[in-house]
Amino acid sequence: MTTHAIHAKLEPDGPVSLPIVEVSGLRKTYSGGVEAVKGIDFEIAAGEVFGLLGPNGAGKSTTIGMLSTTIAPSGGAARLAGFDVATQPIAARSVSSVVFQDAVVDRNLSGRANLVLHARLWAVAPRDAKAQIADLVDALGLGELVDRNVGSYSGGERRRLEIARALISRPRVLFLDEPTVGLDPRIRHELLDLIGDVREREETTILLTTHYLDEAQRLCDRVAIINRGEIVALDRPDALLAEIGEQVLELRVGDDASRARGALAAQGVPVDTAFAVGSTLTVPLHHCSAGDVMAALDRAGVVAAAVSTRRPTLDDVYLRLTGDSLAAA
Amino acid sequence: MSTTTLPREVRPALPAVRRIPSAAGALVTLAKRRASLTSRTPRQIAVPLLGPLLLALIAAPALKAATGGLRSHIDYAAFIDIGTIALLVPLSCIFAGLSVIIDREQGAQRELLAAPVPRAYLVLGNLAVALGLAALQVTVLLALAALRGAHFAITASGMAWFLAAAVLITVFTYAVAETLASRIHKQEDYIAAIPAVAILPFFFAGALFPISAMPAALATIAKFLPLTHALALMRYAFVDPRGTGLHAIWGMSNVTTEAWLSLGVVAVFAAALTAISIRVFSRSAVG
Repeated sequence: MTTHAIHAKLEPDGPVSLPIVEVSGLRKTYSGGVEAVKGIDFEIAAGEVFGLLGPNGAGKSTTIGMLSTTIAPSGGAARLAGFDVATQPIAARSVSSVVFQDAVVDRNLSGRANLVLHARLWAVAPRDAKAQIADLVDALGLGELVDRNVGSYSGGERRRLEIARALISRPRVLFLDEPTVGLDPRIRHELLDLIGDVREREETTILLTTHYLDEAQRLCDRVAIINRGEIVALDRPDALLAEIGEQVLELRVGDDASRARGALAAQGVPVDTAFAVGSTLTVPLHHCSAGDVMAALDRAGVVAAAVSTRRPTLDDVYLRLTGDSLAAA
Repeated sequence: MSTTTLPREVRPALPAVRRIPSAAGALVTLAKRRASLTSRTPRQIAVPLLGPLLLALIAAPALKAATGGLRSHIDYAAFIDIGTIALLVPLSCIFAGLSVIIDREQGAQRELLAAPVPRAYLVLGNLAVALGLAALQVTVLLALAALRGAHFAITASGMAWFLAAAVLITVFTYAVAETLASRIHKQEDYIAAIPAVAILPFFFAGALFPISAMPAALATIAKFLPLTHALALMRYAFVDPRGTGLHAIWGMSNVTTEAWLSLGVVAVFAAALTAISIRVFSRSAVG
């Protein structure tokens, strides 16, 4: 088992927040021997928005499944608000709610019936449930939809209903599994605003999985990058970006960008943090200038078809760490 | 990259357990959900009833006329009417089990699995509705058979035997359906299992004729089926006060003892299959 013990303080020099999610050596091996999660460790502070980034198949949804007790872990431990998901699953479920990647609402029932069902299963007192439903219906713009059959909802409307449903029980931990997948850009941005509002208004700890890096940068206090079932980086988005520097140089260099990287190294250009994907070589400019790189390529006889400089993104962090593309996933 | 964990010394005491629904509250909520969904699919109520109803209303009197009956104290048409329950209940339960697959395919099952209730309640909530639906269908069947002219000798003790047998065989059959639905992933594969699960036992259990009329080897097999015991009990309750069917199974002199033994057999099957169905559901649903 490979275990990456990577932790980070929420506020290194300020007040320390308390962990409400604790994950230790958590792993899942499906029948057939597929290792979806290979022993991961992290902690999430109360009130934090924590992002789990990675391509499809990286183990994000399996991790959410294990934390929500809808997938049985093969090993390790996880606790929600102190409750062990393996030995105290009902208590763990009572403090959490999940918005799953795929629709999980009853399509033959109205939106309100779905909300009431969730409230009852999470033991919300009837009077509180009524008030909470009215409040959430208003906050999430569901007023004209809520008494219609869910089967008639659009994807964005259904997702808003699912978020409302997950919030009825005022969960201490809210799991959002790729909440914006399949939504058009306008709805996606509205939903991101909504998730930001949820944090402000409910003081809920949020664990968000996504493969959209802009979402993580916009919403998350900290992000963990997960690849092939292992956490390969975990820190605040700005700290992860700082490892790359202020700017990167992006070069289109033909079929083998790795060869160009080797040529730069031979010319004395520091390429420890450079990474090659397909025909593109990306060189962080924190130890050298763009002019240094271009001159070295010229000396090595490598022709760049296209050259650009830009600010780094979490995509660069991910690609540097894994050599794979999130976008291609 | 920072490698500092959140310091443990400043952590507060663990929070108290949040409220979780009472067993009754959770079961009622889950059963109401299932009932609400079932009421929106009338075919689930009507389709299982259709075949048995035709059998009771048309085939039973026709068979009586064609064969001359059982040549005993038992009215053959009423004998078949009760026997038809052995087709109705399995069909009803198998159709009810289909909703488990639909829950899984449409995703609703995941939400239920994430709820703070024991997983067994998800099975028991469905079972409660399957029982209610089967009760409604059996009542309609017997009422229409009575209107057609079937004579049922209904006494208080007979009603008790009938209800006990009908409830237990429904529990057993629904547990079989739930187990299959947990193990079979596609609706079409599940539907393909209907003949084996719902129709085959109907012929072996003595639904249309006494098991004593079958070859000895088949009669022996029939005695191991809970459906055979349930049918003999239901007939003992309403149409066969001498317990001819129970004698054919047990060969004892005391019919009350035979009835208790048959009820015990059905109860054991019902309890065992319910436990298995809960275990299979709980294990298969969470990977």
